[in-house]
Amino acid sequence: MTLVALVVGLALGVGLTVVFLGRRERRERADDGSTSSKSRDRGRLNRTEEERLVRSLNAVPIGIVVFENEQAVFANRFARQFDSGRHTDALVGQAIEELVHRATSQGATEDEIDLYGPPPRHLSLRALPLEQGDGTPLGEGILVVIEDTSERNLVEALRRDFVANVSHELKTPVGAMGVLAETLIDEHDPSVIERLSQRLHHEAIRLGTTIDDLLTLSTIEAGDTLELDRVDVAGVIERSLDHVMAAAELRQIEISTEIDDGLIVEGDRRQLESAISNLLDNAIKYSDEGAEVELVATAVGHNVEVSVTDSGDGIPERDLERIFERFYRVDQARSRNTGGTGLGLSIVRHVAINHGGTVTVRSREGVGTSFTLRIATSPSVAAELTGKRPNGEEVANVR
Amino acid sequence: MTDTPIVPEPEPTEHRVRYHRDLEEIKADIVRLGAMCDEMIPQGTDVLLSGELGMAQRLIDRDDDVDRLSIEIEERCYNVMVRQSPIAGELRQLITITKMVAEIERSADLMVNVTKAARRMYGSPMTPQIRGVIASMAKEAQRLLRLSIDAYVDENDALAGALNDIDDQLDQLNRDMVEAIFEAQSEGHIDLAAAVQLALIARYYERIGDHAVNIGNRVIYMVTGWLPEHNGAIRSRNRSAEHDEVEPIGAEATTTETSSDDGGEQSPS
Repeated sequence: MTLVALVVGLALGVGLTVVFLGRRERRERADDGSTSSKSRDRGRLNRTEEERLVRSLNAVPIGIVVFENEQAVFANRFARQFDSGRHTDALVGQAIEELVHRATSQGATEDEIDLYGPPPRHLSLRALPLEQGDGTPLGEGILVVIEDTSERNLVEALRRDFVANVSHELKTPVGAMGVLAETLIDEHDPSVIERLSQRLHHEAIRLGTTIDDLLTLSTIEAGDTLELDRVDVAGVIERSLDHVMAAAELRQIEISTEIDDGLIVEGDRRQLESAISNLLDNAIKYSDEGAEVELVATAVGHNVEVSVTDSGDGIPERDLERIFERFYRVDQARSRNTGGTGLGLSIVRHVAINHGGTVTVRSREGVGTSFTLRIATSPSVAAELTGKRPNGEEVANVR
Repeated sequence: MTDTPIVPEPEPTEHRVRYHRDLEEIKADIVRLGAMCDEMIPQGTDVLLSGELGMAQRLIDRDDDVDRLSIEIEERCYNVMVRQSPIAGELRQLITITKMVAEIERSADLMVNVTKAARRMYGSPMTPQIRGVIASMAKEAQRLLRLSIDAYVDENDALAGALNDIDDQLDQLNRDMVEAIFEAQSEGHIDLAAAVQLALIARYYERIGDHAVNIGNRVIYMVTGWLPEHNGAIRSRNRSAEHDEVEPIGAEATTTETSSDDGGEQSPS
């Protein structure tokens, strides 16, 4: 909010200047050079000041457009991204035009537009009549502020869903255990007692796994416990494969691997292991029985890429950007059967962030899904490339 | 237009200024109409794939907006044509726009059809294969529409001409869809009613691609003055010419004496 206020203040400054300059120049042209250079300097920013102001406005991640007589006379860099005048930009342009038109007759006004894209965006637009120092309106000058609120909306949805999901994931097994225990109290039939205890045990294990994963995630998220080491990627993959072998055999899934020789990264061995096992675990869970999962590890430039590909059902496009969120489920009903905690991909994501790397996903429904974990060969290289500290301090709070 | 030299400058220039402003506005509006339809493709697909029917009404409302703007554009085109008597490139521009309006408006209707099919199919599950093909078809249809609008804005007749080949991808997806429907139906994942709806849905997307190709053809006409449909028209004319050549042979028997020289020339074929 303070940023917006600042920007609006800044923009008002520039807007006033731009409009004022426009007027003055016209007047001067009419006078045809009779004005002395002294009077022209009055009230006008000098070149460096003006440049500084324009450059600052260009750096602001909010669109600013100044209109005079419903014609745009200035647009900063963010606003210029909607310049093409075609496809969705045409719709943004239209919305702004209408807004300015309304603001000219009715004063400050605002509007919101949802764009399906791609890329999908939610923009909030505001038009404010420019005012002189004493608060009287400055002719036909209108300032338009364009804010991309897609990210903010996403974060809000995340926060909302997280509370709902975490209580669901924790309360469901606890509730089940309560009911099972209550039934056990008055039960005398040994076969029923056995069945109920088994269920009770199962629920306890489930709750235990969720809590374990939550703890792992919060440790990894903290990002300050990184034990840096020269890590042999092939070795990490081998141990990850050991973790998931039992699950793979149970579903008769074959894991084929293709690993380049001599891949070394500088990182936290345990975290990398946990990331790769999570990716493999997912691939196994979401594959059909008897299918094949493919793991490929190669060096690409300064990075090591480990990709895990399955030929499962794939992930609907609208869910793709949210699957790395804690407890986010594409299909609630299905995840119950697979027995995951809903935290695996969050763990992978944070391991990537801690190592200055990324994790990306490509998926098509009915064809399969491919996750790629990309980690720089050493944190110093990573720091050079991303401008972030290798211990992930600066990026750890990104979702 | 009027050859009266007495009329001083201001009036005609003002007239021309207004004419060019009208033209520019119409051009901006047709691009806007394209953008409105463009947005309906992912929106309608979302209704279909997510089953959130609440969004369906919004899409239908949007189609009303498309209809309104279509009529406005068309009327303004006729208005300019009648009142300003544009010639050459500018006339072709306006004719192209009136044709494009129809193609875009129809594409928007097709997305309404998709959402209505989504309503009819509500509750019947789709296999991941089918969902995947639908998502790809929607993307491809939207890409084609965008390319056709790009070709129009940039007056790029090469791109416009390529749309027909680019559309092959969408036709292939349509065939993939039919295969996926057969497979899902034979394995009992979907019932016959859903299979029919899905086949129609695939057809709707495929048609959007065809409309984009039509826009491309109109753009070629706008830029070069040559409408690709002429190729077919020429073939048709040649065929009828062949028929005409045959006919006299048949007629020859009855009217031998009247047109003997004529028939003698053409009889070898």
